[in-house]
Amino acid sequence: MRELRSNAVSLLIWTSVITALTALTMSFYGVFLENNQKILAMISIIPEGTLQFKGISDVDDLFSVLGFYSANNVIYMLVLGSIYSIVLSSGILLKEEYNKTAEFLLAWPLTRGEVFYSKAAVVFLNVAVINIVTAIAGYITLVTVKREPFSTDAFIVMSVYTLLLNMFFASLGLFMSTLVRRARPITTLSIGLVLILYFIFTISNITDGLSFIGYATPYKFVGMDTLAPDYRLEFISVIYFGGLSLLLSFTAIRLYRRKEIYL
Amino acid sequence: MSNPAIDIASLTKTYGRDRGIEEVSLQVNDGEIFGFIGHNGAGKSTTIRVLLNMLFPTAGNARIMGMDVVRDSRKIKYITGYVPSDANAYPHMEAGEFLRYCGRFFSPDGNERRINELTELFEVDLKRKIGDLSMGNRKKISIIQSLLHEPRLLIVDEPTMGLDPLMQARFFELLRSENRNGMTVFYSSHTLSDVQMLCKRVAIIREGRIIKVEEIETLRKRQLRKIFIEFGSAEENSLTELPGIEGTPLVSGRSVRFLYSGDINQLLSRLSNRKIADMTVEEPSLEEIFMHYYN
Repeated sequence: MRELRSNAVSLLIWTSVITALTALTMSFYGVFLENNQKILAMISIIPEGTLQFKGISDVDDLFSVLGFYSANNVIYMLVLGSIYSIVLSSGILLKEEYNKTAEFLLAWPLTRGEVFYSKAAVVFLNVAVINIVTAIAGYITLVTVKREPFSTDAFIVMSVYTLLLNMFFASLGLFMSTLVRRARPITTLSIGLVLILYFIFTISNITDGLSFIGYATPYKFVGMDTLAPDYRLEFISVIYFGGLSLLLSFTAIRLYRRKEIYL
Repeated sequence: MSNPAIDIASLTKTYGRDRGIEEVSLQVNDGEIFGFIGHNGAGKSTTIRVLLNMLFPTAGNARIMGMDVVRDSRKIKYITGYVPSDANAYPHMEAGEFLRYCGRFFSPDGNERRINELTELFEVDLKRKIGDLSMGNRKKISIIQSLLHEPRLLIVDEPTMGLDPLMQARFFELLRSENRNGMTVFYSSHTLSDVQMLCKRVAIIREGRIIKVEEIETLRKRQLRKIFIEFGSAEENSLTELPGIEGTPLVSGRSVRFLYSGDINQLLSRLSNRKIADMTVEEPSLEEIFMHYYN
Protein backbone atom coordinates (compact mmCIF):
# COMPACT_ATOMS: atom_id res chain seq x y z
CA MET A 1 0.00 0.00 0.00
CA ARG A 2 2.81 2.41 0.87
CA GLU A 3 4.47 1.78 -2.48
CA LEU A 4 1.16 2.13 -4.34
CA ARG A 5 0.52 5.45 -2.64
CA SER A 6 4.00 6.76 -3.28
CA ASN A 7 3.64 6.03 -7.01
CA ALA A 8 0.06 7.25 -7.31
CA VAL A 9 0.95 10.85 -8.18
CA SER A 10 3.35 9.80 -10.91
CA LEU A 11 0.76 7.37 -12.32
CA LEU A 12 -1.87 10.10 -12.29
CA ILE A 13 0.41 12.58 -14.08
CA TRP A 14 1.54 10.14 -16.77
CA THR A 15 -2.01 8.86 -17.35
CA SER A 16 -3.42 12.39 -17.49
CA VAL A 17 -0.74 13.63 -19.88
CA ILE A 18 -1.09 10.68 -22.28
CA THR A 19 -4.90 10.84 -22.13
CA ALA A 20 -4.87 14.60 -22.73
CA LEU A 21 -2.42 14.25 -25.64
CA THR A 22 -4.56 11.50 -27.18
CA ALA A 23 -7.77 13.53 -26.77
CA LEU A 24 -6.11 16.66 -28.12
CA THR A 25 -4.70 14.85 -31.14
CA MET A 26 -7.97 13.06 -31.86
CA SER A 27 -9.84 16.37 -31.66
CA PHE A 28 -7.98 17.38 -34.85
CA TYR A 29 -9.33 14.35 -36.72
CA GLY A 30 -12.35 16.23 -38.04
CA VAL A 31 -10.21 19.11 -39.32
CA PHE A 32 -7.82 16.55 -40.75
CA LEU A 33 -10.60 14.88 -42.75
CA GLU A 34 -12.05 18.18 -43.95
CA ASN A 35 -8.66 19.17 -45.33
CA ASN A 36 -7.73 15.79 -46.73
CA GLN A 37 -6.70 17.10 -50.15
CA LYS A 38 -4.35 19.69 -48.70
CA ILE A 39 -2.98 17.14 -46.27
CA LEU A 40 -2.44 14.57 -49.02
CA ALA A 41 -0.53 17.21 -50.97
CA MET A 42 1.59 17.95 -47.90
CA ILE A 43 2.15 14.29 -47.15
CA SER A 44 3.20 13.62 -50.72
CA ILE A 45 6.33 15.70 -50.15
CA ILE A 46 7.18 13.86 -46.91
CA PRO A 47 9.63 10.97 -47.48
CA GLU A 48 8.02 7.57 -47.04
CA GLY A 49 10.50 6.69 -44.33
CA THR A 50 9.38 9.57 -42.18
CA LEU A 51 5.80 8.34 -42.33
CA GLN A 52 6.91 4.85 -41.47
CA PHE A 53 8.67 6.39 -38.50
CA LYS A 54 5.19 6.97 -37.12
CA GLY A 55 3.99 3.52 -38.08
CA ILE A 56 2.11 4.70 -41.18
CA SER A 57 2.54 2.18 -43.99
CA ASP A 58 -0.33 3.45 -46.14
CA VAL A 59 -1.26 7.16 -46.27
CA ASP A 60 -4.94 6.30 -46.77
CA ASP A 61 -4.91 4.66 -43.34
CA LEU A 62 -4.51 8.10 -41.81
CA PHE A 63 -7.98 9.07 -42.98
CA SER A 64 -9.66 6.23 -41.11
CA VAL A 65 -10.27 7.05 -37.47
CA LEU A 66 -8.49 3.91 -36.24
CA GLY A 67 -5.52 4.51 -38.52
CA PHE A 68 -5.28 8.08 -37.26
CA TYR A 69 -5.48 6.91 -33.65
CA SER A 70 -2.98 4.13 -34.26
CA ALA A 71 -0.39 6.50 -35.75
CA ASN A 72 -0.54 8.62 -32.61
CA ASN A 73 -0.68 5.64 -30.29
CA VAL A 74 2.80 4.69 -31.53
CA ILE A 75 4.28 7.78 -29.92
CA TYR A 76 1.98 8.06 -26.93
CA MET A 77 1.77 4.53 -25.65
CA LEU A 78 4.36 2.50 -27.51
CA VAL A 79 7.08 5.01 -26.69
CA LEU A 80 5.87 7.18 -23.79
CA GLY A 81 4.04 4.28 -22.13
CA SER A 82 7.15 2.13 -22.45
CA ILE A 83 9.28 4.91 -20.97
CA TYR A 84 6.88 5.17 -18.03
CA SER A 85 7.00 1.40 -17.53
CA ILE A 86 10.77 1.06 -17.61
CA VAL A 87 11.43 4.17 -15.50
CA LEU A 88 8.99 2.96 -12.84
CA SER A 89 10.30 -0.60 -12.77
CA SER A 90 14.00 0.20 -12.93
CA GLY A 91 13.69 2.60 -10.00
CA ILE A 92 11.32 0.79 -7.68
CA LEU A 93 13.95 -1.50 -6.12
CA LEU A 94 16.97 0.71 -6.72
CA LYS A 95 15.52 3.79 -5.05
CA GLU A 96 15.51 1.86 -1.76
CA GLU A 97 19.26 1.56 -2.19
CA TYR A 98 20.25 5.03 -3.35
CA ASN A 99 17.84 6.68 -0.88
CA LYS A 100 19.29 4.33 1.76
CA THR A 101 15.82 3.29 2.90
CA ALA A 102 16.89 -0.31 2.20
CA GLU A 103 18.61 -0.16 5.60
CA PHE A 104 15.14 -0.12 7.14
CA LEU A 105 13.31 -2.25 4.59
CA LEU A 106 15.82 -5.10 4.65
CA ALA A 107 16.07 -5.05 8.43
CA TRP A 108 12.37 -5.82 8.79
CA PRO A 109 11.18 -9.44 8.75
CA LEU A 110 10.72 -9.70 5.00
CA THR A 111 12.45 -12.03 2.60
CA ARG A 112 14.05 -10.61 -0.52
CA GLY A 113 11.40 -12.50 -2.46
CA GLU A 114 8.59 -10.73 -0.59
CA VAL A 115 10.20 -7.35 -1.22
CA PHE A 116 10.59 -8.16 -4.92
CA TYR A 117 7.08 -9.55 -5.39
CA SER A 118 5.40 -6.62 -3.68
CA LYS A 119 7.39 -4.10 -5.75
CA ALA A 120 6.84 -6.04 -8.98
CA ALA A 121 3.11 -6.23 -8.23
CA VAL A 122 2.99 -2.44 -7.89
CA VAL A 123 4.85 -2.05 -11.19
CA PHE A 124 2.61 -4.41 -13.15
CA LEU A 125 -0.52 -2.99 -11.55
CA ASN A 126 0.50 0.58 -12.44
CA VAL A 127 1.38 -0.44 -16.01
CA ALA A 128 -1.98 -2.20 -16.32
CA VAL A 129 -3.82 0.85 -14.93
CA ILE A 130 -2.14 3.32 -17.30
CA ASN A 131 -2.89 1.02 -20.24
CA ILE A 132 -6.52 0.42 -19.28
CA VAL A 133 -7.26 4.08 -18.52
CA THR A 134 -5.60 5.40 -21.68
CA ALA A 135 -7.29 2.68 -23.75
CA ILE A 136 -10.73 3.57 -22.33
CA ALA A 137 -10.03 7.26 -22.89
CA GLY A 138 -8.79 6.49 -26.40
CA TYR A 139 -11.91 4.46 -27.16
CA ILE A 140 -14.13 7.31 -25.95
CA THR A 141 -12.30 9.77 -28.21
CA LEU A 142 -12.55 7.36 -31.13
CA VAL A 143 -16.29 7.00 -30.64
CA THR A 144 -16.63 10.77 -30.23
CA VAL A 145 -14.75 11.84 -33.38
CA LYS A 146 -15.48 8.93 -35.74
CA ARG A 147 -17.30 9.64 -39.03
CA GLU A 148 -17.53 5.97 -39.99
CA PRO A 149 -17.63 2.75 -38.00
CA PHE A 150 -14.32 1.26 -36.88
CA SER A 151 -13.35 -2.18 -35.70
CA THR A 152 -13.53 -2.44 -31.93
CA ASP A 153 -11.75 -5.79 -32.15
CA ALA A 154 -8.81 -4.17 -33.92
CA PHE A 155 -8.74 -1.46 -31.26
CA ILE A 156 -8.68 -4.10 -28.49
CA VAL A 157 -5.92 -6.04 -30.26
CA MET A 158 -3.85 -2.85 -30.59
CA SER A 159 -4.40 -2.09 -26.89
CA VAL A 160 -3.34 -5.61 -25.91
CA TYR A 161 -0.17 -5.27 -28.01
CA THR A 162 0.54 -2.00 -26.23
CA LEU A 163 0.00 -3.61 -22.83
CA LEU A 164 2.26 -6.55 -23.73
CA LEU A 165 5.02 -4.19 -24.89
CA ASN A 166 4.74 -2.06 -21.74
CA MET A 167 4.81 -5.18 -19.53
CA PHE A 168 7.93 -6.31 -21.38
CA PHE A 169 9.65 -2.99 -20.64
CA ALA A 170 8.49 -3.19 -17.02
CA SER A 171 10.12 -6.63 -16.70
CA LEU A 172 13.24 -5.36 -18.43
CA GLY A 173 13.48 -2.46 -15.95
CA LEU A 174 13.21 -4.83 -12.98
CA PHE A 175 15.87 -7.06 -14.49
CA MET A 176 18.23 -4.14 -15.19
CA SER A 177 17.87 -2.81 -11.65
CA THR A 178 19.03 -6.12 -10.20
CA LEU A 179 22.20 -5.93 -12.30
CA VAL A 180 23.21 -2.51 -11.02
CA ARG A 181 25.95 -2.94 -8.47
CA ARG A 182 26.31 0.58 -7.15
CA ALA A 183 23.23 2.29 -5.77
CA ARG A 184 22.39 5.00 -8.30
CA PRO A 185 19.41 5.83 -10.48
CA ILE A 186 19.36 4.37 -14.01
CA THR A 187 16.55 6.55 -15.32
CA THR A 188 18.56 8.05 -18.17
CA LEU A 189 19.83 4.65 -19.24
CA SER A 190 16.29 3.25 -19.18
CA ILE A 191 14.81 6.07 -21.26
CA GLY A 192 17.77 5.89 -23.64
CA LEU A 193 17.25 2.17 -24.09
CA VAL A 194 13.58 2.57 -25.09
CA LEU A 195 14.46 5.34 -27.55
CA ILE A 196 17.38 3.42 -29.04
CA LEU A 197 15.25 0.30 -29.51
CA TYR A 198 12.54 2.38 -31.16
CA PHE A 199 15.14 4.11 -33.34
CA ILE A 200 16.61 0.76 -34.44
CA PHE A 201 13.12 -0.48 -35.23
CA THR A 202 12.45 2.63 -37.31
CA ILE A 203 15.74 2.32 -39.19
CA SER A 204 14.89 -1.30 -39.91
CA ASN A 205 11.52 -0.19 -41.33
CA ILE A 206 12.83 2.47 -43.64
CA THR A 207 15.99 0.72 -44.83
CA ASP A 208 15.34 -2.35 -46.91
CA GLY A 209 18.73 -3.94 -46.35
CA LEU A 210 18.46 -3.53 -42.58
CA SER A 211 14.98 -4.88 -41.99
CA PHE A 212 16.42 -7.86 -40.10
CA ILE A 213 17.74 -5.63 -37.28
CA GLY A 214 14.15 -4.85 -36.35
CA TYR A 215 14.01 -8.31 -34.80
CA ALA A 216 16.47 -7.09 -32.18
CA THR A 217 13.74 -4.82 -30.84
CA PRO A 218 10.40 -5.65 -29.24
CA TYR A 219 8.64 -3.17 -31.55
CA LYS A 220 9.00 -5.64 -34.42
CA PHE A 221 6.60 -7.94 -32.58
CA VAL A 222 3.93 -5.29 -32.09
CA GLY A 223 1.20 -5.51 -34.72
CA MET A 224 0.68 -1.95 -35.96
CA ASP A 225 -1.27 -2.48 -39.16
CA THR A 226 -4.67 -2.04 -37.50
CA LEU A 227 -6.55 -1.73 -40.80
CA ALA A 228 -5.26 -4.98 -42.28
CA PRO A 229 -8.13 -7.46 -42.71
CA ASP A 230 -6.24 -10.18 -40.89
CA TYR A 231 -5.10 -7.92 -38.04
CA ARG A 232 -5.05 -10.00 -34.88
CA LEU A 233 -2.97 -10.90 -31.88
CA GLU A 234 -0.19 -13.06 -33.32
CA PHE A 235 0.73 -16.17 -31.40
CA ILE A 236 4.44 -15.51 -31.92
CA SER A 237 4.06 -12.04 -30.38
CA VAL A 238 2.23 -13.37 -27.34
CA ILE A 239 4.94 -16.00 -26.84
CA TYR A 240 7.67 -13.41 -27.42
CA PHE A 241 6.34 -10.82 -24.96
CA GLY A 242 4.95 -13.30 -22.46
CA GLY A 243 8.03 -15.50 -22.54
CA LEU A 244 10.54 -12.69 -22.34
CA SER A 245 8.62 -10.87 -19.60
CA LEU A 246 8.45 -14.05 -17.53
CA LEU A 247 12.09 -14.88 -18.18
CA LEU A 248 13.27 -11.38 -17.26
CA SER A 249 11.11 -11.28 -14.12
CA PHE A 250 12.16 -14.77 -13.08
CA THR A 251 15.85 -13.95 -13.60
CA ALA A 252 15.41 -10.64 -11.78
CA ILE A 253 13.97 -12.32 -8.68
CA ARG A 254 16.79 -14.84 -8.65
CA LEU A 255 19.37 -12.07 -8.93
CA TYR A 256 17.67 -9.90 -6.32
CA ARG A 257 17.64 -12.75 -3.82
CA ARG A 258 21.44 -12.83 -4.03
CA LYS A 259 22.04 -9.15 -4.64
CA GLU A 260 24.58 -7.40 -2.46
CA ILE A 261 22.99 -4.23 -1.14
CA TYR A 262 25.71 -1.57 -1.15
CA LEU A 263 24.61 1.67 0.47
CA MET B 1 23.87 -23.29 27.82
CA SER B 2 22.26 -20.60 25.64
CA ASN B 3 23.65 -19.66 22.24
CA PRO B 4 25.72 -16.51 21.99
CA ALA B 5 23.60 -13.61 20.78
CA ILE B 6 26.08 -13.13 17.95
CA ASP B 7 28.62 -15.71 16.85
CA ILE B 8 30.86 -14.67 13.98
CA ALA B 9 33.39 -17.23 12.77
CA SER B 10 36.18 -16.39 10.30
CA LEU B 11 33.86 -14.07 8.41
CA THR B 12 35.32 -12.58 5.27
CA LYS B 13 33.63 -10.20 2.89
CA THR B 14 35.49 -8.83 -0.10
CA TYR B 15 34.27 -6.45 -2.78
CA GLY B 16 36.04 -7.76 -5.84
CA ARG B 17 39.63 -6.77 -5.24
CA ASP B 18 38.72 -4.34 -2.47
CA ARG B 19 38.95 -5.27 1.17
CA GLY B 20 35.80 -5.50 3.22
CA ILE B 21 36.42 -7.61 6.30
CA GLU B 22 38.84 -10.48 6.72
CA GLU B 23 38.65 -13.45 9.04
CA VAL B 24 36.49 -11.63 11.56
CA SER B 25 35.67 -13.79 14.56
CA LEU B 26 33.89 -12.67 17.69
CA GLN B 27 31.16 -13.71 20.06
CA VAL B 28 28.66 -11.47 21.78
CA ASN B 29 27.08 -13.05 24.81
CA ASP B 30 23.35 -13.09 25.28
CA GLY B 31 22.41 -10.15 27.47
CA GLU B 32 25.55 -8.07 27.14
CA ILE B 33 26.19 -4.62 25.73
CA PHE B 34 29.07 -5.13 23.35
CA GLY B 35 31.07 -2.32 21.77
CA PHE B 36 32.37 -2.50 18.23
CA ILE B 37 34.83 0.25 17.51
CA GLY B 38 36.95 1.30 14.60
CA HIS B 39 37.63 4.22 12.30
CA ASN B 40 35.40 5.01 9.34
CA GLY B 41 35.94 2.36 6.69
CA ALA B 42 37.40 -0.13 9.15
CA GLY B 43 34.67 -2.68 8.41
CA LYS B 44 32.05 -2.01 11.11
CA SER B 45 29.15 -1.38 8.74
CA THR B 46 30.19 -4.25 6.46
CA THR B 47 30.08 -6.62 9.42
CA ILE B 48 26.65 -5.33 10.43
CA ARG B 49 25.29 -5.59 6.88
CA VAL B 50 26.42 -9.20 6.69
CA LEU B 51 24.63 -9.86 9.98
CA LEU B 52 21.47 -8.31 8.51
CA ASN B 53 21.78 -10.23 5.23
CA MET B 54 22.23 -7.13 3.10
CA LEU B 55 25.64 -8.47 2.09
CA PHE B 56 26.58 -12.12 1.71
CA PRO B 57 29.70 -13.61 3.28
CA THR B 58 32.57 -14.39 0.94
CA ALA B 59 33.80 -16.93 3.49
CA GLY B 60 33.06 -17.92 7.05
CA ASN B 61 29.69 -17.59 8.71
CA ALA B 62 27.73 -15.72 11.29
CA ARG B 63 24.90 -16.73 13.56
CA ILE B 64 22.45 -14.73 15.61
CA MET B 65 20.84 -16.54 18.56
CA GLY B 66 22.04 -19.78 16.98
CA MET B 67 20.45 -19.02 13.58
CA ASP B 68 22.38 -18.63 10.36
CA VAL B 69 22.31 -15.03 9.10
CA VAL B 70 21.77 -16.08 5.49
CA ARG B 71 19.44 -19.05 5.80
CA ASP B 72 17.38 -17.83 8.76
CA SER B 73 17.45 -14.14 7.98
CA ARG B 74 13.68 -13.63 8.23
CA LYS B 75 13.43 -15.33 11.63
CA ILE B 76 16.40 -13.34 12.86
CA LYS B 77 14.79 -10.05 11.90
CA TYR B 78 11.76 -10.80 14.06
CA ILE B 79 14.00 -10.71 17.11
CA THR B 80 16.46 -8.07 15.97
CA GLY B 81 16.23 -4.30 15.91
CA TYR B 82 18.56 -2.13 13.87
CA VAL B 83 19.47 1.54 14.04
CA PRO B 84 21.36 2.41 10.83
CA SER B 85 23.98 5.14 10.82
CA ASP B 86 22.10 7.05 8.12
CA ALA B 87 18.65 7.76 9.46
CA ASN B 88 17.09 8.07 5.99
CA ALA B 89 13.59 6.74 6.44
CA TYR B 90 10.90 7.41 3.84
CA PRO B 91 10.85 11.23 3.62
CA HIS B 92 7.28 11.60 2.32
CA MET B 93 5.80 9.68 5.26
CA GLU B 94 4.70 11.28 8.51
CA ALA B 95 6.71 10.08 11.49
CA GLY B 96 3.66 8.43 13.08
CA GLU B 97 2.63 6.79 9.82
CA PHE B 98 6.15 5.40 9.38
CA LEU B 99 6.30 4.01 12.91
CA ARG B 100 2.88 2.34 12.62
CA TYR B 101 4.01 0.93 9.26
CA CYS B 102 7.12 -0.53 10.92
CA GLY B 103 5.10 -1.77 13.86
CA ARG B 104 2.69 -3.72 11.66
CA PHE B 105 5.54 -5.98 10.54
CA PHE B 106 5.56 -7.32 14.07
CA SER B 107 2.08 -6.81 15.42
CA PRO B 108 -1.34 -6.25 13.79
CA ASP B 109 -2.02 -3.14 15.89
CA GLY B 110 1.28 -1.58 14.82
CA ASN B 111 2.64 -1.62 18.39
CA GLU B 112 0.67 1.54 19.19
CA ARG B 113 1.35 1.33 22.93
CA ARG B 114 5.08 1.06 22.39
CA ILE B 115 5.05 3.91 19.85
CA ASN B 116 3.35 6.19 22.37
CA GLU B 117 5.72 5.18 25.14
CA LEU B 118 8.88 5.78 23.08
CA THR B 119 7.72 8.95 21.32
CA GLU B 120 6.92 10.44 24.71
CA LEU B 121 10.40 9.57 25.93
CA PHE B 122 12.11 11.07 22.87
CA GLU B 123 9.66 13.98 22.46
CA VAL B 124 8.92 13.32 18.80
CA ASP B 125 6.23 15.12 16.79
CA LEU B 126 4.46 12.28 14.97
CA LYS B 127 2.55 14.60 12.65
CA ARG B 128 5.60 15.91 10.81
CA LYS B 129 6.92 14.39 7.61
CA ILE B 130 10.22 12.59 8.06
CA GLY B 131 11.78 14.61 5.24
CA ASP B 132 11.08 17.80 7.20
CA LEU B 133 12.73 16.56 10.39
CA SER B 134 16.20 17.52 11.57
CA MET B 135 18.97 14.91 11.59
CA GLY B 136 18.53 14.44 15.34
CA ASN B 137 14.78 13.91 15.09
CA ARG B 138 15.21 11.47 12.21
CA LYS B 139 17.65 9.59 14.39
CA LYS B 140 15.06 9.43 17.18
CA ILE B 141 12.53 7.95 14.71
CA SER B 142 15.15 5.43 13.67
CA ILE B 143 15.81 4.46 17.28
CA ILE B 144 12.09 4.16 18.07
CA GLN B 145 11.39 1.92 15.05
CA SER B 146 14.21 -0.39 16.11
CA LEU B 147 12.71 -0.91 19.55
CA LEU B 148 9.01 -1.21 18.70
CA HIS B 149 8.95 -4.99 18.80
CA GLU B 150 11.09 -5.24 21.96
CA PRO B 151 13.88 -7.13 20.15
CA ARG B 152 16.16 -9.63 21.84
CA LEU B 153 19.11 -8.13 19.98
CA LEU B 154 19.61 -4.51 19.08
CA ILE B 155 22.26 -3.60 16.53
CA VAL B 156 23.11 0.08 16.48
CA ASP B 157 25.49 1.85 14.11
CA GLU B 158 26.59 5.31 15.27
CA PRO B 159 23.27 5.81 17.09
CA THR B 160 24.05 9.07 18.86
CA MET B 161 25.11 10.98 15.76
CA GLY B 162 22.87 14.06 15.69
CA LEU B 163 21.28 13.50 19.11
CA ASP B 164 21.55 16.32 21.65
CA PRO B 165 23.13 15.47 25.04
CA LEU B 166 19.78 15.19 26.81
CA MET B 167 18.46 12.73 24.23
CA GLN B 168 21.76 10.84 24.30
CA ALA B 169 21.38 10.43 28.05
CA ARG B 170 17.78 9.20 27.64
CA PHE B 171 18.87 6.81 24.91
CA PHE B 172 21.65 5.36 27.09
CA GLU B 173 19.26 4.98 30.01
CA LEU B 174 16.76 3.24 27.73
CA LEU B 175 19.46 0.88 26.47
CA ARG B 176 20.50 0.04 30.03
CA SER B 177 16.90 -0.54 31.02
CA GLU B 178 16.18 -2.76 28.00
CA ASN B 179 19.44 -4.57 28.65
CA ARG B 180 18.36 -5.28 32.24
CA ASN B 181 15.24 -6.84 30.72
CA GLY B 182 17.41 -9.17 28.65
CA MET B 183 18.10 -7.30 25.43
CA THR B 184 21.57 -7.75 23.94
CA VAL B 185 23.12 -4.65 22.38
CA PHE B 186 25.73 -4.63 19.63
CA TYR B 187 26.97 -1.05 19.75
CA SER B 188 29.05 0.02 16.76
CA SER B 189 30.59 3.45 17.02
CA HIS B 190 33.69 5.53 16.80
CA THR B 191 32.45 7.69 19.68
CA LEU B 192 34.60 5.99 22.25
CA SER B 193 33.21 7.81 25.26
CA ASP B 194 29.78 6.30 24.49
CA VAL B 195 31.23 2.81 24.20
CA GLN B 196 33.24 3.28 27.38
CA MET B 197 30.14 4.43 29.24
CA LEU B 198 27.85 1.63 28.07
CA CYS B 199 29.76 -1.47 27.15
CA LYS B 200 31.39 -4.18 29.14
CA ARG B 201 33.35 -5.71 26.29
CA VAL B 202 34.63 -4.26 23.10
CA ALA B 203 36.07 -5.42 19.80
CA ILE B 204 38.44 -3.16 17.91
CA ILE B 205 38.43 -3.53 14.15
CA ARG B 206 41.10 -2.08 11.91
CA GLU B 207 41.41 -2.43 8.14
CA GLY B 208 38.81 -5.19 8.15
CA ARG B 209 40.45 -7.29 10.85
CA ILE B 210 39.61 -7.67 14.52
CA ILE B 211 42.71 -6.63 16.40
CA LYS B 212 41.41 -6.97 19.94
CA VAL B 213 38.37 -8.32 21.75
CA GLU B 214 38.57 -7.53 25.41
CA GLU B 215 36.68 -6.32 28.45
CA ILE B 216 37.02 -2.57 28.67
CA GLU B 217 38.16 -2.76 32.28
CA THR B 218 40.83 -5.28 31.32
CA LEU B 219 41.99 -3.11 28.50
CA ARG B 220 42.22 -0.18 30.81
CA LYS B 221 43.62 -1.78 33.95
CA ARG B 222 45.81 -4.70 33.02
CA GLN B 223 47.84 -3.79 30.09
CA LEU B 224 48.50 -0.16 29.57
CA ARG B 225 49.55 2.69 31.80
CA LYS B 226 49.80 6.26 30.81
CA ILE B 227 53.10 7.49 32.25
CA PHE B 228 54.21 11.07 32.71
CA ILE B 229 57.71 11.75 34.04
CA GLU B 230 59.37 15.11 34.60
CA PHE B 231 63.11 14.62 35.03
CA GLY B 232 65.51 16.85 36.91
CA SER B 233 67.25 17.77 33.67
CA ALA B 234 66.63 17.37 29.94
CA GLU B 235 69.71 15.11 29.62
CA GLU B 236 68.02 12.43 31.71
CA ASN B 237 64.80 12.12 29.70
CA SER B 238 65.90 9.28 27.40
CA LEU B 239 64.22 5.90 27.93
CA THR B 240 65.46 4.11 24.85
CA GLU B 241 65.44 0.33 24.72
CA LEU B 242 63.13 -0.05 27.68
CA PRO B 243 60.84 -2.99 26.85
CA GLY B 244 57.14 -2.21 27.21
CA ILE B 245 57.12 1.33 25.89
CA GLU B 246 54.35 1.49 23.30
CA GLY B 247 55.00 3.68 20.32
CA THR B 248 57.28 6.70 20.45
CA PRO B 249 57.49 8.60 23.74
CA LEU B 250 56.42 12.22 23.51
CA VAL B 251 59.40 14.23 24.76
CA SER B 252 59.07 17.89 25.70
CA GLY B 253 62.02 19.52 27.45
CA ARG B 254 62.57 17.69 30.73
CA SER B 255 59.31 15.74 30.53
CA VAL B 256 58.27 12.63 28.69
CA ARG B 257 54.85 10.96 28.16
CA PHE B 258 54.25 7.46 26.91
CA LEU B 259 52.02 4.39 27.13
CA TYR B 260 53.68 1.53 28.97
CA SER B 261 52.68 -2.11 28.90
CA GLY B 262 55.77 -3.60 30.53
CA ASP B 263 56.71 -4.49 34.10
CA ILE B 264 56.34 -1.39 36.28
CA ASN B 265 59.27 -2.60 38.48
CA GLN B 266 61.54 -2.64 35.48
CA LEU B 267 60.57 0.94 34.72
CA LEU B 268 61.17 2.03 38.30
CA SER B 269 64.52 0.23 38.32
CA ARG B 270 65.53 2.08 35.15
CA LEU B 271 64.56 5.38 36.74
CA SER B 272 66.16 4.71 40.11
CA ASN B 273 69.48 6.41 39.38
CA ARG B 274 67.90 9.50 37.81
CA LYS B 275 66.61 12.64 39.39
CA ILE B 276 62.84 12.87 39.00
CA ALA B 277 60.90 16.09 39.65
CA ASP B 278 57.43 14.58 39.11
CA MET B 279 55.83 11.38 37.92
CA THR B 280 52.25 10.21 37.36
CA VAL B 281 50.92 6.78 36.40
CA GLU B 282 47.35 6.76 35.10
CA GLU B 283 44.89 4.46 33.42
CA PRO B 284 44.58 5.52 29.81
CA SER B 285 41.18 6.41 28.39
CA LEU B 286 39.58 4.09 25.90
CA GLU B 287 40.46 6.60 23.23
CA GLU B 288 44.15 6.36 24.10
CA ILE B 289 43.96 2.57 24.11
CA PHE B 290 42.13 2.65 20.81
CA MET B 291 44.76 4.92 19.28
CA HIS B 292 47.45 2.66 20.67
CA TYR B 293 45.98 -0.38 18.89
CA TYR B 294 45.43 1.62 15.77
CA ASN B 295 48.99 2.84 15.67
